Amino acid sequence: MSADYARLSSVVLEQCFGKVVQSVAECLFAASTRTLSQIATATNLTRKEAGLALAVLIKFRLVSFKASTGNPFLPEYSLKREDVICLLRYSRYIHLVQTKYGNVGASIAEELLNAGSETANGLLLKCLVNAENKTENAESYRDTFLRMIGDHYIIKMPELTTGDDQDDCVPKFLTNECDFFGPPNIDLQLLAKIRKGEASLADATNSIVWGMNYDRFHQEFRDTVMVDAIERKLGENAAECFRYILKLMYCNTDPWQRRVSNHITFVQLKQAIEKQSNNLDLMKHLDQYITLLADDSLGFLRKVGDMGSGQYVVDLEKSFESLAFACVEAVITERFGSKAARIFRVIRMKKYIEQEDLQKEAMIPSKEAKSLAYNLFQEQFIHVKVIKKPGGGGTGPAKSFYLFQIKSKDTVRMLLDTCFKALYNTIERSNFEKSEHKGLIEKSQRLDSIVEAMKERGESEDYIAEIAETFTPPEVEILNKVKNRIKTLSKAELTLDDTIFLLQMYQHHCTTLPTGITKFK
Amino acid sequence: MSEIAQLLLSVIQGVSAGATNDDLTKALSDVPAATRVEGLNILLQQGSIEILKKGEKLVYRAKDPQKKSALPKDADNEEKIVYDIVEKGGDKGIWIRDIRIKSNLNMTQLNKILKNLETKKLIKAVKSVNASKKKVYMLYNLEPDRTVTGGAWYQDQDFEVEFVDVLNQQCLRFLQMKRDNAEKKRDGPLAFKQMSCCTVKEVHKFISDLGISKVNLDEDDLETILKTVVYDGNAERILQSDGSYVYHSVNTPLPPPGLVQMPCGICPVIKNCSNCGDVTAISCQYMKEWLD
Repeated sequence: MSADYARLSSVVLEQCFGKVVQSVAECLFAASTRTLSQIATATNLTRKEAGLALAVLIKFRLVSFKASTGNPFLPEYSLKREDVICLLRYSRYIHLVQTKYGNVGASIAEELLNAGSETANGLLLKCLVNAENKTENAESYRDTFLRMIGDHYIIKMPELTTGDDQDDCVPKFLTNECDFFGPPNIDLQLLAKIRKGEASLADATNSIVWGMNYDRFHQEFRDTVMVDAIERKLGENAAECFRYILKLMYCNTDPWQRRVSNHITFVQLKQAIEKQSNNLDLMKHLDQYITLLADDSLGFLRKVGDMGSGQYVVDLEKSFESLAFACVEAVITERFGSKAARIFRVIRMKKYIEQEDLQKEAMIPSKEAKSLAYNLFQEQFIHVKVIKKPGGGGTGPAKSFYLFQIKSKDTVRMLLDTCFKALYNTIERSNFEKSEHKGLIEKSQRLDSIVEAMKERGESEDYIAEIAETFTPPEVEILNKVKNRIKTLSKAELTLDDTIFLLQMYQHHCTTLPTGITKFK
Repeated sequence: MSEIAQLLLSVIQGVSAGATNDDLTKALSDVPAATRVEGLNILLQQGSIEILKKGEKLVYRAKDPQKKSALPKDADNEEKIVYDIVEKGGDKGIWIRDIRIKSNLNMTQLNKILKNLETKKLIKAVKSVNASKKKVYMLYNLEPDRTVTGGAWYQDQDFEVEFVDVLNQQCLRFLQMKRDNAEKKRDGPLAFKQMSCCTVKEVHKFISDLGISKVNLDEDDLETILKTVVYDGNAERILQSDGSYVYHSVNTPLPPPGLVQMPCGICPVIKNCSNCGDVTAISCQYMKEWLD
């Protein structure tokens, strides 16, 4: 976790939950675990304020706690740092649900994300209240909710362990791997009663809490990244073929297995495609498409044996190495020019190379090649390995060889930090624009609501126009400019997150770093 | 005296590996040792033989008379020695420092001799591309080696960037053309891939037919160019079963990443950027230009 990420998560938390939560989270970010009193002293907040902030963070599953090893009555809190950035992905999650489950699903996802975690009844109730005037009925909400659980987009939160008599012990949770996605019983009659005011939410006996399963979404995003890459490089049919391969892979592989998937045979794949696809060209040339995928330099698919007319694995490590470096190379092309990207690729393909060989191989004049290579070195895209030949004893001068190389993990981490910094910058800038023109924005909002109210009252058009004119043309112009800026910035935020996601996938699949990604969270 | 020299020469020429002193005494037993030495000296002066050391023994070997003829008769000893050293340097040339060490002559003398030989058009100085200040000498009639001149890519000592760039673009265009042609025929994915691959020979023919190059390019030259296309990420190099390579153009697997769609991705001072100090998101000039 870098300083850049610390700043980013701090500003994200401020945006979502306000100053108090921000300072508590900052305090937790800096340490592995803290107790409540430690937090209160470090942040200068009262115990109550700090406790409330922790409650919010716990509800949003950003903080976890467990009893201190020394004292079973003392809880220690820790921040799940990796998950903070998920707060920025909410719009993407909702969008995905919308495409899969339609508006009903989207509204469920929205409510659940806004609440952090919620009981099934409470959640559906909120959705129904929001959807008062719409045509969808309670059944469709319940069914969509159950389908989302079935598809693992929504996950059961761990339940409290009961039966422990010690009241003031730190609560413990029971995590049951087999029961994350068991459908709950939802009593629609009870819901209807509650809405009419004849019963209260407390009457519902079911106290299981549900939350969004972020990593299921990330799995979907990852698949999209891979399939899109295949489509760009090898065409639509190959992409479709790969989609089936992934589907098959999930049948026998943990989606977050780090390096390679378990084996898939050609026969299995053929059967799956024949059953589900109606793409004739794909079926006709299936063996060719598989060979194509397996031979391609991206290395998504690898042949490992001949069982079942060909045994294959999906090589996630190689895939994300190829993709992450395609990204790094694109960044270098934009930042230093295509010649620099050429130098970078030469070094990557040769692994170790000397300056002189480098310029010959890249066919770039020596002066330019040197300046580009040194620039890349200075910005930490490439690294230098020094090999020293000892020349002691007066037998001659000591000789050193300076070889360029790429430490891929370092390069990717550096770029990831740059992304975090850039994301932080967009948020900061956008906040700045908002506060700079706060008066104007507020004025326009006030005016809009006044005009709205007047229209409802049925006042005369002339009068409304007169009121609207208090907003002068130069003010309108400035306001539009600011709105445009904020729009550009938030669009940049979204596209930046694509890059961040890709690089994070690299870290998950190509390194052994802890990435916080698990099947169930 | 010259008769003895002739006799000695014929004996030495008879032994192709070079005659030792023993061979000579055996063949010319009636000639006294002192006369033999004198005869050998004459031959050495003429440059018809050379002395080699084989273990502890001296070996006399006859020189190729054709090579000798390049040097005029009036050349003195030093000139001959320097000429020999330059000759041994072959088409890679030899550096003046190395000549001095091998010949054991002092600098001024050596310079004079070299200049002399140059004006007689016996040797020439060639500038090396590896180090622009380093001059190497070689025989006048030799074509310098590729490592010295840098091959087709160098005009004098300058690397011809534009020429390489044009060739790079043309090669890429050819690969893409090939790919487009293959795309039109729908014979399944593998056939498509095979058809979009080209060998170096095909590219060579295409480039030669284009006639953009005044210099004669061989296939090795084009292979280096094709490699740069690969290094640009526009093509791939595939090893064939017979050990040769084929090339085909590819698309990048990713759309432009989000990072470079905003100024921070290409910012030269992103390292210094922070929430305080001179470079901040709020005072950023790049950001301002981008947003307006």
